[in-house]
Amino acid sequence: MRRMLLTAVVLLAGVAACTPEAPAPAPGTAVLAVGERATSLAPVLPATRRTADQEAADLLFLRLAGLGADHRTTGDDGFEPQLARSWSRRDSITLAFELDPRARWHDGAPVTAHDVVFTFGLARDSIFSSTLSGLLRHIRSVTAESDHLVVIGFDQPYAEQLYDAVFHVQPLPAHLLEQMSPEEMRTSPFVQAPVGNGPYHIVADNAETLELAASDSFFLGRPGIRRVVIRVVPDPDARLNLLLSGELDALGAVIPPLENAARISDAHALRLIQVPSNTVGYLLFNQRDPTNLARPHPILSDSSVRRALVLALDRASMVRAVLGSSAQVPYGPVSKQLWIGNRSPEARGQDLAAARTLLASAGWRDSDGDGTLEKGGRPLRLSLMVPTQSATRRQMALQIQEQLRQVGAAIDLAVIEGSVTGERRNKGQFDIDFSSATQDPTPAGLTQSWTCRGGSNVAHYCDPAVDSLIERAILASRGADTLWQSALRRIERDAPAAFMYAPTTVYAVSSRFDHVDIRPESAWITLWRWTVKPGEAIARDRTPGS
Amino acid sequence: MTESPRHGTSLLAAVWRRAPGRAGLIALAVVVAAAVASPAFLPSPIEQPDIEHASQPPSAAHPLGTDQLSRDVLSRVANGGRVSLAVAAIAVTLSITIGALVGLGAGYWGGAADAVAMRIVDAALAIPRLFLLLLLLAMWEAIPPAAFVLVVGVTGWFGTSRLVRAEVLRLRESDYVAAAHGLGARAGRVMFRHLLPNALGPLLVAATLGVGEVILLEAGLSFLGLGLRPPRPSWGGMIFEGRATLVTAPWATMFPAIAITVTVLAVNLIGDALRDALDPHR
Amino acid sequence: MSRWLIRRAGEAVLTLGVAVCLLFVLMRVAPGDPLSRLGDDRPVSPREVATLRARYGIDQPMLTQFGQFAGAAVRGDLGTSIEYSRPVARLIAERLPATLLLGATVLLLNFTLGLWLGVRQAVRQGRLADRALEFVSLTAYAIPSFALALVLAWLFATHWRVLPPGGMHDVLLSPNARFAARATDLLRHLLLPAFTLSLVSVAATMRYQRAAMIDALALPFVQTARAKGITERRAVWHHAWRNALFPVVTLFGLWLPILVTGSVFVEQVFAWPGLGSLAAVAVASRDYPLLMGTALLVSTLVIAGGLLADVLYAVLDPRVRHA
Repeated sequence: MRRMLLTAVVLLAGVAACTPEAPAPAPGTAVLAVGERATSLAPVLPATRRTADQEAADLLFLRLAGLGADHRTTGDDGFEPQLARSWSRRDSITLAFELDPRARWHDGAPVTAHDVVFTFGLARDSIFSSTLSGLLRHIRSVTAESDHLVVIGFDQPYAEQLYDAVFHVQPLPAHLLEQMSPEEMRTSPFVQAPVGNGPYHIVADNAETLELAASDSFFLGRPGIRRVVIRVVPDPDARLNLLLSGELDALGAVIPPLENAARISDAHALRLIQVPSNTVGYLLFNQRDPTNLARPHPILSDSSVRRALVLALDRASMVRAVLGSSAQVPYGPVSKQLWIGNRSPEARGQDLAAARTLLASAGWRDSDGDGTLEKGGRPLRLSLMVPTQSATRRQMALQIQEQLRQVGAAIDLAVIEGSVTGERRNKGQFDIDFSSATQDPTPAGLTQSWTCRGGSNVAHYCDPAVDSLIERAILASRGADTLWQSALRRIERDAPAAFMYAPTTVYAVSSRFDHVDIRPESAWITLWRWTVKPGEAIARDRTPGS
Repeated sequence: MTESPRHGTSLLAAVWRRAPGRAGLIALAVVVAAAVASPAFLPSPIEQPDIEHASQPPSAAHPLGTDQLSRDVLSRVANGGRVSLAVAAIAVTLSITIGALVGLGAGYWGGAADAVAMRIVDAALAIPRLFLLLLLLAMWEAIPPAAFVLVVGVTGWFGTSRLVRAEVLRLRESDYVAAAHGLGARAGRVMFRHLLPNALGPLLVAATLGVGEVILLEAGLSFLGLGLRPPRPSWGGMIFEGRATLVTAPWATMFPAIAITVTVLAVNLIGDALRDALDPHR
Repeated sequence: MSRWLIRRAGEAVLTLGVAVCLLFVLMRVAPGDPLSRLGDDRPVSPREVATLRARYGIDQPMLTQFGQFAGAAVRGDLGTSIEYSRPVARLIAERLPATLLLGATVLLLNFTLGLWLGVRQAVRQGRLADRALEFVSLTAYAIPSFALALVLAWLFATHWRVLPPGGMHDVLLSPNARFAARATDLLRHLLLPAFTLSLVSVAATMRYQRAAMIDALALPFVQTARAKGITERRAVWHHAWRNALFPVVTLFGLWLPILVTGSVFVEQVFAWPGLGSLAAVAVASRDYPLLMGTALLVSTLVIAGGLLADVLYAVLDPRVRHA
């Protein structure tokens, strides 16, 4: 059943930008489906942000500049101009952005430097935006030198200045918001029905659908897809049924199970597109005792046990069985999309003999013959926490449980709702957590989970050597790659986690669309540049929006 | 009171005499036998011999095929039966017992105790059982089977208590209860020797139908991912795990679904026959 | 009568109050809270979660929270959903039409098809048609509704492509389309979920009606009427059925919780935008305000249904009032 899979996969490279002068193609309609309803459509304002929110906001709001097709986050080149027509470097710690004078809010007001300054003010407020302000910690000042000139100053020279300046913050319309206090903004109707500056604006928003229409005056070009209907369908199988019955034009994350790829390939109006994902899934080993965080974990604080557990797993065949041949076993906590991920060695394969030897040398024996090892009267029994919502992790967890059983480790699966796993993880109440992290496009995000004082280091993994390598790598202007690789090797040796999978997300898209380019940082961010192939328009493309 | 058969054996015989009841008993016996005997001659229900070539259709080696983790479906259906049946039997026993005790007490003593108990029962009945279960089950990160049974049992007694209370209210004023009181019988004796036996008929029917309900409920909770923890197979859990391959490997979901239907049908056939046997009027 | 009614209504309100307390306690005893899911999507620091928890007031003592909730609810304000950042009352209002439509359709099928088949069975008691229907209804009652829903969705929507696989509307149909077109569209979407949900409940209604009808047919005055030579049709429908109807109609209140429970599964598989799936989201994400809002509504419906059934019964059978 597996051999026919993914043969029809088409990987589209970057697409030539569509120029405003090009003749207007046939109008199109795209119907998408998402699992969760977007709750806050305005960027920056919400206290918390999920993928559904970000994907919707990215259709409504632009950035100063977008990531280029190669997803590089370092240097000043390779970014695509959006609200900023151009930018220049004044010195090693100052960047100047010239705004495009054609940029307009959907209410007709021009986008000005003042909007940018206003929004950065909110984003850098550590009380109002605790996450964003952390990401923007190297930005020292944001000033408007004229209506269309913004100058951003940094506290030190580093490679990702431009990325930090353009990627995290999508400017908001100051003229509609600045009369309110920040807390009023957060609860104002603007959050659900914002006035944006992007290719689309909201037409209707209800429990079933979010409907967007293209803005005719969009200054970067007339969107080829005139109408976007985002359906909210929580159940993954229901989404697939909608896709296969022709009601959807595009759908993300269609596998697992792998069999879906074959079913979609058989439906002639659809094609599969693989997109490198910025997600990495890993078994996080708690270094502290979950019942008393001041004490080391009775089993997992021993690095030979952690290494043995990693060696006992046949990660490659698990990944192939669940995610297909395009997914990989990562080396270190690095998704496929990070540029440092492409240069790492292969992850180690399964070695049951080595795993058993390691456990034996660490003092673990099966003295009572029940199949589970013991040491000092304590059985090698660990609980593995898996969120119900993730099909990938659920299926892999069952395989992990079986494979670890073979080396004498008993795994209790705790398949529980995401709300509970989240709380337990944050409180350090777990032995092994099957985590999945969506990473920022930059390796600098690794500090969060894998350095001693990282804000999300819930497993209390701490290796000062890794900290120093990562800090030097972030600030290095050259040789950063070597430093990153050393840090990864060190992490692999410490085995704070078993790094399980770095998937490629598989999307299904109607084959009548052209110029389809799905970006890992946000699936539908270039949707406005898609077009309907001449002569392939169907009825829904021609019907006008409401 | 009718001269309804009270003894287990005669009840069983009465069910057996009715064709639907006989069919139910045979079907249930087959399911129970398969569940009990399966470990002796079937492959392990948890081993995953070949995860890269999973979801194999039925064959000589695997009469019902393999699931998406390459486990033997026949073995899992049989083993799942042990879990589903055991959970249902214990949970129903528990809820019938609680319901009978509350109903007896409330009906016998009446007054404030009755008013309070019935107000709580009314309130609990107003919240759909599934809501109650979802909330309670979320309390355990990995629910132990005993706790699962407890939770299912504890949420199932409200209707039973009303049933028993009504029966007690009907009988409380009857001559022979008055006579028992007159002879100086204590409250406990009156309740358990005189009132309870008369409510046994409806209780037994409620219990049988309750078993079917709990099997479906357990399956539904597993379908929402809130059932017993893997790798322990359960019918609902198999459907939950296999639903994504419903079209490409239907055997992994259809056989557990058929097992649920057959078992619930069998239990309900027995329940119906039991009701008929206890109430010769129909 | 009015005094009885007032007392009965008072009881209903009291029951509702107890139900709300029960729910509130259960919900707060359960571990996990709405903000803990943040860490699922991207790394979030525990300190950040604590800040947010304070912002939403879920770090307050339980009693304070309950007081705030009860006070606002009496004024008709159900609070703001944490998961959706929208007013709970508005979210419920968005979902209510879908739930009512599906529920009403199922009830309608129940009280037409279910009653009719039950009566037919009773009239032909013991004959082949009765036995066959008995077997069919018992089997239907034993099929797990979610498994049936999965199979129907596959067969009708993706295999034969004759019915839409999910949702309540064709999202591309213009709201300005003709009424007939919109009604047809709605009906097509309603068909599969309504069928799945009805199968179980119609089976149950049939069985109750059959039993009640058999009792009614045995009543002396029906026997007499039959002996007097009136048509069979008149004896069945005019004399017997009127007596057999009451016990079944009063089950009305009983159906509501069953429909809500069943619809959680059916709504999930068919993406029906009703209260069942909203409640499932609320439970899964520990969205306290939303969960309280939906539970409050469902419990109110159930209690009101029970009250209505009692009133109906009292109107039909005056002896009850004085009991």
